[in-house]
Amino acid sequence: MNQQLFPTLFGALVALSLASAASAQAGDSNIVIKAGKVITNAGETIENGTIVIQNGRITAVGQGIEYPWNAEVKEYPGSVAFPGFVEAHSSRGMDRANENIDVAAFLNVKDSIDPVSFYFEDALRAGVTTINVQQGDECVVGGMGYIVKPTGMTVEEMTVRPNSGLAMSATPKRGKSRATQAQSLREVFSGLQRYLEDTVGDKRQGLDHATREALYQGREADEETAKGRSMAGSTWKVDGLELIPRWEIDEKQAPLLKIVEGNQRMFVFCDSAQAVALALEVATDNGFLHRTSLVLEGTSWKAADMIAQRGVPVILSESLMYRERDPVSGEMIETFVPKVFQDKGVRFALRGGSTASKGLWYQAALCVGYGLTRDQALAATTTTSADLIGLGDRIGSLEVGKDGNVVIFSGDPLSVKSFVEFVVIEGELVYDRSNDTRVLHLDTGAQPENTAPHDPNADFKPHGKAEVPDDDGSDTDAGENEEEHEEDEESDADDKHDDDKENEDK
Amino acid sequence: MMTLSFLILPLLSSVATAAPVAADLSVHAKVVYTATGERVENARVSISDGKIVAITPGVDARDGETSVLAITPGMIDLSAHATMGSRSVEETTEIRPGFRVANTLDVFSKSWERHLYSGVTTVMVHPYDNNCIGGLSVVLKTGGAENIAARTIKADAALRGALGDQPSQRNHPAFGRPTDFYSRRPTTRMGVEWEWRKAMYDALYAEGQIDSDTAILRRALSGELTIFAQAWATQDIRTICYLKEEMAREGHPNMRIIVDAAAEAWREPGLLVRTKTGVILPPYEHEGRTEDNAFFALSSAKQLVDLGVAVALSSHTAAGPGATLGSQAGFAQRGGLSFAEALAAVTTTPARMAGVENRVGTIEAGKDADLALWNGTPFELTSRVVGVVLDGKMVLDPR
Repeated sequence: MNQQLFPTLFGALVALSLASAASAQAGDSNIVIKAGKVITNAGETIENGTIVIQNGRITAVGQGIEYPWNAEVKEYPGSVAFPGFVEAHSSRGMDRANENIDVAAFLNVKDSIDPVSFYFEDALRAGVTTINVQQGDECVVGGMGYIVKPTGMTVEEMTVRPNSGLAMSATPKRGKSRATQAQSLREVFSGLQRYLEDTVGDKRQGLDHATREALYQGREADEETAKGRSMAGSTWKVDGLELIPRWEIDEKQAPLLKIVEGNQRMFVFCDSAQAVALALEVATDNGFLHRTSLVLEGTSWKAADMIAQRGVPVILSESLMYRERDPVSGEMIETFVPKVFQDKGVRFALRGGSTASKGLWYQAALCVGYGLTRDQALAATTTTSADLIGLGDRIGSLEVGKDGNVVIFSGDPLSVKSFVEFVVIEGELVYDRSNDTRVLHLDTGAQPENTAPHDPNADFKPHGKAEVPDDDGSDTDAGENEEEHEEDEESDADDKHDDDKENEDK
Repeated sequence: MMTLSFLILPLLSSVATAAPVAADLSVHAKVVYTATGERVENARVSISDGKIVAITPGVDARDGETSVLAITPGMIDLSAHATMGSRSVEETTEIRPGFRVANTLDVFSKSWERHLYSGVTTVMVHPYDNNCIGGLSVVLKTGGAENIAARTIKADAALRGALGDQPSQRNHPAFGRPTDFYSRRPTTRMGVEWEWRKAMYDALYAEGQIDSDTAILRRALSGELTIFAQAWATQDIRTICYLKEEMAREGHPNMRIIVDAAAEAWREPGLLVRTKTGVILPPYEHEGRTEDNAFFALSSAKQLVDLGVAVALSSHTAAGPGATLGSQAGFAQRGGLSFAEALAAVTTTPARMAGVENRVGTIEAGKDADLALWNGTPFELTSRVVGVVLDGKMVLDPR
C-alpha cells in the first residue's frame, strides 16, 4: 500500500510544482492595451478603452477598468484597437496547394504549410490574426484544413486549432468535365457505402483479416461481438458497423465516414450556380449539409435563393463585383455579390485579396462603399468568419474569455489611410510596424540597411527624396543601364518561375 | 495654331453638348470640394446650359433636390483604357505620328460607362503602345452624344509614344531569330530608343517639302504638341528625359514631355524637376510590382509632389470595384499625399497637362458641369460615386 502511495504522492507534488511554475510564468505575461478607441465587434465602440489580457486570454474590456499591478501596459492614445481580421478560407501560405489524388481526405495541409511564406508576413501587415488554411480547389475531396496564426517558425507554434475541416470541390478539377466531377463526387460516398457493406459482410462471413489470422494460427476466432460503434448519420446507414472496430477501417475511408456521420466541418468549392446545385445535392444526400460552408466564385451567387433556402453559410471569393453582358441587349450588368447574400439573409464571410494592400480590410471597405453597413462588413471579416471555422467562441471580437488578439490601427480599420501599427496575438506582441523592414521599401522604395531587397533580383538603391543629380544630364549612365538590363533578364526568368508556381497553386 | 484650336474647339463642342441639355439643374451636398483650394459646406451647385453658374454655400437642400454627402469635380484620367478591339494596333511601322486614335474609338463601347459611372468624366485616350511613336491622342468626355467628335474636348491633344519593353515585344517571330527581312524591328530596348532618336533627328533635318508625319514631329519638338510617353522603368524615364535635353541642345528647348505609367519616377525626381517633366502614375496594384519589372513605391506621388513635379493619377488598365481612379487617389493618400493634393492629381493637374483646364477640372462658374457625387468621404474605399453629372445632365442618378 505504502509503496503504491509513494509514487502517486510524488507525482502529485511534481505536478503541483510544475503547475505553480506555469502560473508564475503566466502571471508575467499580463498585458494591458489602452487605445483611443476600441472597436470590440461586440456591441458599442469604447472611447479610451482598456483591454486586459492574462495568460493569452482577454480578462476585461472597458473604460477605466482596473488591471493587475504587474501588467505590462501599452498605450496607443491616438490609435484604434481592433480584434483582428479572420481569414476563413485560404490556400496560400502552402507549398503546392493542390493534390493530384482525387480523394485525398487522409492528407493534412499541416504538412504543406510553409511558416516562412511571405503570405503570413503580409497577413500580419494587413491585420489578419487567424487563417484557416485549406487545400486548393483542384480536388474532389481534399485534405484536412488547419487553423494558424501568421506568426511562428514551425506549424506547431502557429497552430490555433488543428483539423478545421475538409475541402471538397463541386467544380471540375483540371482535366475533368462537369459530369465526371459530379460522378466522382457521388462515387466518393457510394464507394464508401460499398466498402462498409463489404467490410461488415466479410466480418459476418468470417472472411475478415482477424478471423482468418486466428484460423491460420489455430486459435478460436473471436465471437461476433460489437467492438465498434454503430454508424451515426442522418441519411444512409450501413447496418452492423458496430462489428468493426473503427481502427480497422481503411484510413482512406475513415475520414469520409466521419463526413457522412456529420462529424466533419466541410468547405465545398463552387465556381458556378450549377456547381452549387451539385454541392447542395451531395451534402443533402450524405447528411453533411448542416456542417457545410460553400466557398463561392463566379456565377455561384446566382444560386443565392437556393443557398438561402437551405440555410448554408458562404465564403466569398476575392472578386466581389460580378460583371456580365446581357446576351440580348449587350448591356453591362454589375452585381455586388456580398449585397446579394446580405439581402437574402445568408451568412457570409469574405476572403482577402492577394496582398496586404488588398487584404480583408480592403474587401470590407468596398462592402461599405457598396451599401452594406459597417457592422455587416466587419462581421463578414471577423465574427462570421470565426463562426464558420468553428472558432466563434475564441476569436473575432474583443470580449472576456476570447483569445487576446488585438490589432492596433493608426485610424479607422476600413480607411485607406490607416495602417496596422501593432499586432498582439494571444497576448504577445508579434508585429511592430516600426520594425517592419519591408514597409520602408514598399512605401518609399528605400532599401533599409542590412536587409535583402524586396525582389532579390532587383538592385534597389536607397534614394532620398532630396537627392538631385548634380550632373548636367550629358552623362547617360550607360554602365548603369547595362547593368539594370542584365538584371531585368534575370528577374524575367524568375517571374516566369513564379508564374508557373502560381498556376500550380490554382 | 495652338491658341486657335483652343478657341475653336470649346466653341464647337459646347454647341454639340448644349443640344441635349434642356432643363437647368442643381445639386446639393454637405461638402463641395471645388478643387480650387476651397471646401464649401452645405452648398448648392447650380447648372445652366451644361455649365456651372453658381456655387451657393450654407444652404439646405430644397425639396426634391438631389443631395449627397460630397461633390467633387468630375475626375480626369489621362491614361484611360478604352476598348478598341484587337486589330487596332498599327503594325506596319514603328513611327506613325499621324494616326489618330479618335478614328478607332467605338462610341458604343461599354468601357466608357465604366469610366463615367466611377466619376471619371474626362479621359485622354492613347493609341496602344506597341509602336514606338503610335499616333495622336484625344481628350474627350466619357458620355454624352453618341458621336466621338461631339464628345471630343481636344482633338490631336498629344503625341503618344512608348519606351521600354512593350514596343518591341511583338516583333519577335513565333520561332527562330528575327534575322529575315520580314521581321519587324526593333526587337530590343535599345532599338526602341534608336527609333525615337531617329524619328526626332529625321524631323529636325528634313528638307524641302515635308510630309505630315514630319510636321507633327516638328510640332512636338517645338512644344506645341505634348509628348505623352509610356515609360515604367527608371531607365526608360531617363531615356525620354535625356532625349528632351538632347533636343534642347539641338535648338528645341521647349519640347514638352509627360511620362505616362511612370512607376519608377520616384527614383529620378531630380531629373524630372530639371527637365520640367510631368508624370502620370499607374494604379497601385500588386504591392507596387508593375510592368517592365518596375517597382512603384506607395509614396511615389507624395515624394514627387513635394519636389514640385506635376503628378496625375490614372487607372490605366486596372479593373475591379477598388481599382477606380477615385481609389487611386485614396492609395495616393495612403502614401502620404494630402486630400487636397490627391484631389488635384485627379482633377486640376491632369486638366492642365491635357490643356483643357479652361473647361474641366474644377467646380467654378463657367466651367463644364461635370460632377462626381459621393456617398461619403471622396476617395475612401468605404465611399463610392453614386451620381454623375455630365455636361449639366444627371447621367447617373443617386436616387
